[in-house]
Amino acid sequence: MGTDVKRVHARTFQFFARPLGISFFFVLLALLWTFPLQKVMAYPFVFLFFGAIMCSAWFGGFIAGTMAVAMSSLAIDYFFVPPFYSMTIGREFRSYVAAFVICAIAITAVSSARRKSEAAVKTARDQLEIRVRERTAELQQSNAEILERERQLRELTEAIPQQIWRTNASGYVEYCNRNLTEYLGKETHELGDGAFGSILHPEDAPLFLQSWDAARESAHPFELQARVRSAGGDYRWFLIRGNPQWGANGEIVCWYGVHIDIEEQQRAQQALLISQDKLSRFSRTTTLAEMAASIAHELNQPLTALVADSHACRRWLNSDPVNIPRAVATTERIVRECTRASAVVSRVRSLFTRSEYVRESTDINALIRELARLIRDDAIRRNVSIKLCLAERLPLLHVDRVQIQQVLLNLAVNGMDAMSESEAARELEISSEMPAADEVMVTVRDTGLGLAEEAKTRMFDPFFTTKPAGTGMGLSICRSIIEAHQGRIWADSLPRGAAFHFTLGSNA
Amino acid sequence: MRDETADPGMKQTVFIVDDDPAICESLCNLIESAGLVTRQFASAEDFLKMSSPELAGCLVLDVRLPGMSGMELQNRLIKSGLRIPIIIMTAHGDIPMVRNAMKAGAVEFLTKPFQDEELLMAIEEAFALDRSQRSAKSLERSIVERWKTLSERERQVLELVTTGMLNKQIADRLNLSLITVKLYRRQVMDKMQAETFADLVKMWERMKASQDVNVSM
Repeated sequence: MGTDVKRVHARTFQFFARPLGISFFFVLLALLWTFPLQKVMAYPFVFLFFGAIMCSAWFGGFIAGTMAVAMSSLAIDYFFVPPFYSMTIGREFRSYVAAFVICAIAITAVSSARRKSEAAVKTARDQLEIRVRERTAELQQSNAEILERERQLRELTEAIPQQIWRTNASGYVEYCNRNLTEYLGKETHELGDGAFGSILHPEDAPLFLQSWDAARESAHPFELQARVRSAGGDYRWFLIRGNPQWGANGEIVCWYGVHIDIEEQQRAQQALLISQDKLSRFSRTTTLAEMAASIAHELNQPLTALVADSHACRRWLNSDPVNIPRAVATTERIVRECTRASAVVSRVRSLFTRSEYVRESTDINALIRELARLIRDDAIRRNVSIKLCLAERLPLLHVDRVQIQQVLLNLAVNGMDAMSESEAARELEISSEMPAADEVMVTVRDTGLGLAEEAKTRMFDPFFTTKPAGTGMGLSICRSIIEAHQGRIWADSLPRGAAFHFTLGSNA
Repeated sequence: MRDETADPGMKQTVFIVDDDPAICESLCNLIESAGLVTRQFASAEDFLKMSSPELAGCLVLDVRLPGMSGMELQNRLIKSGLRIPIIIMTAHGDIPMVRNAMKAGAVEFLTKPFQDEELLMAIEEAFALDRSQRSAKSLERSIVERWKTLSERERQVLELVTTGMLNKQIADRLNLSLITVKLYRRQVMDKMQAETFADLVKMWERMKASQDVNVSM
């Protein structure tokens, strides 16, 4: 109800009070000015009322104009048309008043129409302006949003705890994030072309450049581990990954790359590898040396006693007079010491003959895969690719897992050692097959320097070695392990490299 | 009197320390075949229990022993002032060990097994060293004995004379007449059995050098 009343009030104000006020104001103004002016001007002077009507219609609209017409007519009739101060109109002035009224109405119509169109134009212009302002604000906001998002993205790439780069399609470095430039101590523009060659460890650079070139040629992502030089000059291991970015037409636009610091993992892995290596190789050398020292000591004691007693015996026999009882007693001691020395020897032999094996059902292929995992990093470091050719559906073998793994490891490491000087592609192939129904054969093939004639005949002998730091026990131990499993082990010289085979009985 | 040797009643003995009884016995056998006296010990501790400054002879010592090692025993003997010559035996020629042993005064270093001549010659050498050491020691002892017979004044005169002071200066220093000093000097020479003044000085130096004699007045 209240709103209705309010609306009625507003209507009353809009259509009655305001036009009435405006028209009254202007007509009163005209009236007041006309009184003094009529004394000077021609008679009857009414032009100011036209002005009042025009202004009322302009400022107050058509209603105010009409009201002004009415008020002006009355005022003229009353004040300025004879008979004065009466509402009657003299005959000779009727046409004059009528003309005035008609003119006044026309002015009202024209003025208010003009006023309306003016208002319409103004409104349209105002609306346009408002819309422009709105659009501008919108644009500004979205611009700010884009800038903010870009800043966030840039911050992300800069602050991300990884090293990121981008190159163009031909490998020219265009962008490095802060993490990378800070690590390298170089700015992006200093890297430019051939950047990787200058920041990688000399040992890793050729392999990296090779796979980077291959990746760009084949347009395939690549992944590689390499040592990268830091600003301080030391090297850390990184996993370097590169992915091509494709354009709309299917061409490569750029490459995105990331360097992931794997120094710690690498170190841990290295430590693991070394400990495994130690376990399987070096510890054998040290235990061998220790064992040799202890055997030497064990044997040396009775030998020392023997030498001393032999000398003593000769002296007793040479003495004057000959001391037969002491000589006899001494020879008895000599016999005792010889027996003791021989006991040492047989004890040592029994130490080396292990009669019991821990044998269990073993999948030889699983053993080979495990070995490949074990030597993977070593192989990458030595630029050797490992290839496995494993026959399917092999029977489970009843073997000592640890010992067979030791044989495999020994052959694999020998193979890699043989290729360390080789310029050609270094490939280590481990294969398993079943040449006979009750036999599994494992072959370790390398593309190294092959076998010398002397090595071929003697390499399974203990203490025979062609390596500067070798013990010469590796293949000899391999042979004793394989023979203890009722298998055979032998080697073939290939046109390029060598192949070591061993067999294991499937029902052994 | 310089030729006066050690107590002839003290027979030189070869002391053998090795934890391997077979080696101990065969070494004894060999050494006895050369007509020498031996005693064997299974450990360094056993030998230390028996040892005394009066021991005559030499020590044949294995490096590798249970408990105290041969090298430790050598150091222990040096510290306690026992100068018995030592022959070291080892099963493996450990060079730093050889060097240390020789530096510490070992007579010989034998690598097992060794020939009889090597051992017997080393023992001979060790015995000679032992003899000269002990005679020097007994000489020292007799000098000290003689010194002990001197009176307070005579000791004072002896000390001042050996510093090279003239009789007159000594007389001034001790507030004695020159004649009295000369008299004391003659007595000192007699009691110390010194034939010449040079002999007396040498005796005094030897006495001062020996650590187990307190000559301060």
